[in-house]
Amino acid sequence: MKSRFKWVTAIIAVLVSLIIGFNFNNQQTLAAKKDPNVLKIGMEANYPPYNWTQTNNANGAIPIEGSHTYANGYDVKIANIIGKRLGRKVVVVKTEWDGLLPALTSGKIDLIIAGMSPTAQRRKAINFSKPYRQGTFVVLTKNSSKYANAKTLNDFKGAKLTAQQGTVHYELIKQLKGAHREPAMRDFAAMRQSLISGTIDGYVAENTEAESLKMVYPNAKAITISKMPGFHVSKDESTTSIGIDKKNKQLLNDVNKILATIPNNKRNKLMSQAVRQQPNSGNSTSKGAKKENWIVSTVKQYGGMIIGGVGMTLLLALVGTIIGFIIGLLVSIVRTIPTPSTRYKNWLLNFIKWLLSVYVEIFRGTPMMVQAAAIYYGIAQFWHINLNRTVAALFIVSINTGAYLAEVIRGGITSTPEGQFEAASALGMTHTQSMWHIILPQAIKNCLPSITNEFIVNIKDTSVLSIISVSELFFVGSTIASQTFQFFPTYLMISVIYLVLTFTVTEIFNFIEKKLIGDKNYNLNTNQIQVSTAKDAGANN
Amino acid sequence: MSEAKEQILNLKHLKKSYGNHQVLRDISFNVNKGEIVTIIGPSGGGKSTTLRCINLLEEPTGGEIDFHGKNILAPNFNRNIYRAKVGMVFQQFNLFENKNVLENCMVGQELVLKRSKKEAHDIALTNLKTVGMGAYINAKPQQLSGGQQQRVAIARTVSMNPEVLLFDEPTSALDPEMVGDVLDAMKKLAKAGFTMIMVTHEMAFARDISDEILFINDGVIAEKGAPEQIFNHPKEKVTQKFLHNFKRNEL
Ligand SMILES: Nc1ncnc2c1ncn2[C@@H]1O[C@H](COP(=O)(O)OP(=O)(O)O)[C@@H](O)[C@H]1O
Ligand SMILES: [Mg+2]
Repeated sequence: MKSRFKWVTAIIAVLVSLIIGFNFNNQQTLAAKKDPNVLKIGMEANYPPYNWTQTNNANGAIPIEGSHTYANGYDVKIANIIGKRLGRKVVVVKTEWDGLLPALTSGKIDLIIAGMSPTAQRRKAINFSKPYRQGTFVVLTKNSSKYANAKTLNDFKGAKLTAQQGTVHYELIKQLKGAHREPAMRDFAAMRQSLISGTIDGYVAENTEAESLKMVYPNAKAITISKMPGFHVSKDESTTSIGIDKKNKQLLNDVNKILATIPNNKRNKLMSQAVRQQPNSGNSTSKGAKKENWIVSTVKQYGGMIIGGVGMTLLLALVGTIIGFIIGLLVSIVRTIPTPSTRYKNWLLNFIKWLLSVYVEIFRGTPMMVQAAAIYYGIAQFWHINLNRTVAALFIVSINTGAYLAEVIRGGITSTPEGQFEAASALGMTHTQSMWHIILPQAIKNCLPSITNEFIVNIKDTSVLSIISVSELFFVGSTIASQTFQFFPTYLMISVIYLVLTFTVTEIFNFIEKKLIGDKNYNLNTNQIQVSTAKDAGANN
Repeated sequence: MSEAKEQILNLKHLKKSYGNHQVLRDISFNVNKGEIVTIIGPSGGGKSTTLRCINLLEEPTGGEIDFHGKNILAPNFNRNIYRAKVGMVFQQFNLFENKNVLENCMVGQELVLKRSKKEAHDIALTNLKTVGMGAYINAKPQQLSGGQQQRVAIARTVSMNPEVLLFDEPTSALDPEMVGDVLDAMKKLAKAGFTMIMVTHEMAFARDISDEILFINDGVIAEKGAPEQIFNHPKEKVTQKFLHNFKRNEL
């Protein structure tokens, strides 16, 4: 009976997810309400020279929404021209590559200017402007690589190659006969790191990436594959265009008109500007006469960002755990209500209990990263509510933690000795009274290690919220790594910070737990002394 | 002495089964005000179940229980108020582990009887002193011995000013040297005129203190009568055998 109930719940959970999924596809999206004077541009801000993140507004950089950092690059320069012509203030919404399309169709951004190619696949979902950049494809490898002198598409036989997830580049690897197509990577930072550390032999990108990479990694070697015999790529795929929501025909026309006024030589000038301006601290340190300690310089430059990231991570973990705890408490209380007397109430209670178990199953059975993406973009598309990123993140962590803690607290309640319930009801307490005053305090105390653990898990797991671009510690870390190209030291530093955070929290909670457990023996003497001194004091008055 | 005859509890053909297992088959007896009724009998005979049915920790499956003439099993009967009037002392004490000794004796008064903190505190303290636990008011249950915990449990129950006290083998879980203190506390309550129903294996104590002895075996009252009669001249074979075995084990 019980296991069948569980199965039914699981199946319903799947169905609910599917229904929600279908609605996403069918729903004709409306743009959420927003300020008409602001032009929101979606980009990764992590793909130099097209776009990158910097800490100041030098070289015409524009602010990134919800942070104290700025975006710059070829895309930003194009965006600035468009914004100026439209008379709208340009703001960058830093968005993961995979989040760009949903962000556009859900109205979170107005334009995608992110070095994106107008592929047939993407055209199904959104409209594209005329191209604003014509690309040449290269394989990036090291000078020392045995593939460095490849002349034909077949010369990459045996090479381990990759490209960015969801890009044309990744598809192009198929044309390099005999090459091993490694799993696609999330961003260029990761690919550069993989190439330098030798876990891949090369990656496919555009020639602009080659120029950028060479500035920070002189050993890089770019092999142009666009002109190799037999190489084929459609025009759509070799160009870069601006993405616009299908309903926004007016904006599409405007953008096309503006692009038409930017001649090719102006575009090339902007691109070489971008290549020169892109962050390349790796370059400057190698040239610098005196090498400043890496940690010192990083802290100097990015200290504020790191502290912000730590703050955001702690905020998400702490608030998420507290709200999640409250949710878990309420859910577990409802789930342990005894069967009421009337049939109607009984039916209602069973229905609510069932709903709650569906909630618990769904959120425990799916990764938080998926929940984050589904909820953040889903809510916008479904209800046309544009959630603040931090609010969305808090919501996701809380509701996810709630599902876990509901089970933990329920376990705590059911493992409280039966005699405690009995003694409470023998005194005449109602179910609610015995719950609040007797059972829950004990259950929570017993669950404290699990709750602490959940808090620590949250400190680490909120890193997956980088999918919705919340600037928590890991997101900050990736940003710094991609700007400084110091991958290992940056992530090492971020790991140490995580470790310090989790260690400190563990110690604090251990201390609290010890306090709560209290002494094993009752010291009659000290207590009697207290009683008698109180009496003496009373007698003196 | 019409007051002494005032009937408080009246069990009529009480029955209780768990599934197919009929634990109580037919239990009927009265308890008058100020009376002390002791239930004895072999393990598994249904003594605890009888007590647990009386304060509704178990739902009877047949028969009737009247409290001052009112059927407590009637649908509109207020069970929580009734339970406050029928105190229960458990074999395993069941003190609230999240509360100290004083709070254990106050929480029911405040929540159920709606007494003020001050009033609850004073009543609790008086009763704790009566059972000899006045010095331990700030201790947590885990810090006390079994005998001490049981005396606190008695004070907790008495603090609710119940009309009837139920004791389910209050000394069975105790080390022998602790038993005396608990029995002394119970004796004090008896002297104070409390109505009590208890299950115990302390035969000498039961003989001393009880007005009536019920011998429950296999879900029925096999024999009942005054202590002198049950202990000295048991009529039924089962009673004789039980008491005989019992005496042999005692020696
Ligand atoms: N919750 C229960 N479920 C099933 N059987 C029970 C339950 N509680 C008691 N019993 C059975 O009822 C019978 C009487 O138990 P009990 O009243 O505890 O006996 P006593 O207190 O006289 O030793 C025993 O056979 C016991 O196994
Ligand atoms: Mg028993």
